[in-house]
Amino acid sequence: MKHVLLVIILILASCTPFNQKSVKATEAEVKIYNEWLYAYKLNDLKIDSSIITRPPGIEQLLFSLLLPTVGGLNLKTHCVYYRVPYKQITGLLKIEEQKSIGECPPLSKGKVWLQLDGLRDLSLKLENFQLSLNFNYQNQKIGWKFLLPNLEGGLAHQKYQPPTEKKLYPGMTLLKISEDSFDPESNVYLGKLSDRMARGSAIRCMQLDKSCQQVGEDRCDECRYGWYQVVDYNCPQGGSRFCGQNHCGEKNEPACVRGTKLFEGDDTGICQSDLTAVMNADHILVCQ
Amino acid sequence: MKDFKRYIVPLLSLSICAVLLSGGWLFWQNQKKLSPKTDQFVQDREALGRLLQNSSEIHRLWLEGEDSREWALEKAACLKHYKVTKAFDESLLRCNPILIQCHALFDKKLNYRLVPSENPENKDKWYRYLSKSNSNHVKLTSGGYLFSIEDNLSHKRLDLLLSDSCQEVYLEKRAYAYGEALTGKESLETEDYRFDNFGQNIYIDRHLVTNAEVNEWIDFGNPDFTKGLTKKEADELFLPATHLLYKQMENYCSFKGRQLLMAHYADAATFLPMDLSEVLPAKNIRSPYYWTKKRSEFKADCNLIYAEECLAQKAFQLNSTSPSWAGIMDSMGGVFEAFRNPIDPESNLKASSFYFDFKSPWHRLGFRAGWDGEGFDLRHFDFRGINPKLTVEKFQVGFRCMRESK
Repeated sequence: MKHVLLVIILILASCTPFNQKSVKATEAEVKIYNEWLYAYKLNDLKIDSSIITRPPGIEQLLFSLLLPTVGGLNLKTHCVYYRVPYKQITGLLKIEEQKSIGECPPLSKGKVWLQLDGLRDLSLKLENFQLSLNFNYQNQKIGWKFLLPNLEGGLAHQKYQPPTEKKLYPGMTLLKISEDSFDPESNVYLGKLSDRMARGSAIRCMQLDKSCQQVGEDRCDECRYGWYQVVDYNCPQGGSRFCGQNHCGEKNEPACVRGTKLFEGDDTGICQSDLTAVMNADHILVCQ
Repeated sequence: MKDFKRYIVPLLSLSICAVLLSGGWLFWQNQKKLSPKTDQFVQDREALGRLLQNSSEIHRLWLEGEDSREWALEKAACLKHYKVTKAFDESLLRCNPILIQCHALFDKKLNYRLVPSENPENKDKWYRYLSKSNSNHVKLTSGGYLFSIEDNLSHKRLDLLLSDSCQEVYLEKRAYAYGEALTGKESLETEDYRFDNFGQNIYIDRHLVTNAEVNEWIDFGNPDFTKGLTKKEADELFLPATHLLYKQMENYCSFKGRQLLMAHYADAATFLPMDLSEVLPAKNIRSPYYWTKKRSEFKADCNLIYAEECLAQKAFQLNSTSPSWAGIMDSMGGVFEAFRNPIDPESNLKASSFYFDFKSPWHRLGFRAGWDGEGFDLRHFDFRGINPKLTVEKFQVGFRCMRESK
């Protein structure tokens, strides 16, 4: 009788930690998925789908993710680290959050956003916009599969076809919307509807130099009302770009682009028939 | 000692029972605490799975439009809901929020709902138009329709932005010419106005901007720019918006991150190239009609030009004629179309329309009238002496947008 009771107690006692284990893994999975679902970029993933075994006992950066913050008002980075288990050192998955866009340090040192201790035999795979993490967690085989619908795979260029977006669902993006996403006072995009080159208010979002090299950052994706090209150095990739409503060809506005293969010099711009194209001090063809 | 020995067995049994009971109680308490939490995470993960599955279905429906089985099933109820009684080009349902809203309204088997707009003025809309001009969300590539879908079981939500770019055509990179082809002596004395678009990715709206699209601007755009505009309903939803002044047309396109279509790009998208494989021809020989390379092949056909005579044959609708070589619709006939013309600003109107009969010289590509953009009665137009025979109180002027992409 005594033995029976002892066995029952032992069974009951062993059930408790089993439950705690699965909660932790599921909790981590849901917390991660709710964030990574919105990932725009996955950087530095150099690992193939085999189990990570090196370097034993030392932490390494697995990859980083570019994510929107609440309301999509800003961007943040998740740095994902893994310590391979070795003897008494346990396997550890650690995610740190950086409140900005930036490179992740090779070793973790910031604020831990999530940590899962005691895992082993971790392998990673990114296939068809799905990131898979397979590992062994307290004697259970666990497989996490995260769909990344916002992940940008660049543009696909096919002959005679317009460039198309490579994405899980081309043309669809998941947004992290909140009330603040619509606050007109805090619109971060560049330019006003009234901006004109003639008034000196137009914002240049991308600049090329005379050797057709880009100078500084290309910010044209941040233009609030779209962007347009101007004629400057007849580069094969086009000209510098400005944000806003296009009034090219009008008086004191830039000449419209006439192309790069048919004409040279001042003829590469389009101006109203009563105006002449002239290079201004910034080497932009304007109509006067 | 003897007494103690006598009681040791029951005492031990009682202790074991006490341990067992307290162990059981602790386990039960622990279970009570853990189960809802475990369940919650499992349910959250499942809800996310369902929401993603539904997003993928919505994405499919968005692209398939009128070709979807959903439209076939829900068409009658949807048209009744929007009070649409007249025929329209159903290809307009691609990338159209009306179809997604109808599907959410009339498919009772769905395990999600679309969350209505919180603005009481737009309560009937289960989406909103989002662009960089009205949202602070980072990484918006182009404008589109925002749908908030809510899982029926968990009430978990997911916000989807669906781009409206599937109603655009891409302008192939090649050499083009602006304006009508010169003939006779003029062609010997004057050179063609040629240009090319190498180094530019240009996208042009396939169809004229509709009233439904202008309604979105009124609902979700800056009210300072839409003052005086009224929303159109029912059968007018799928008709071209023809009540905007020139400045409003420009501002509408800016709201969408685009530009009003420029006249020379309209010519590029409509004049049929003689040899599609030759992207840099020595000359741009062109016919005045978008369907043929031959100048002599004019056809008085309502499927090619919706001219005055066609009004008696079939009601005017958007996309009433065949597409041009580049894929744009209504390049001749129908309503007037305004452009921004950076070469000859006073030639900014496609006058080929149902205001002129088939014999009218206006039915030629690249031949344009003038519009001051400030009103719709005759005094605002310059028809170069070729005025319409009809008395028209208000001419209808449509427009479309274009954009350049990286």
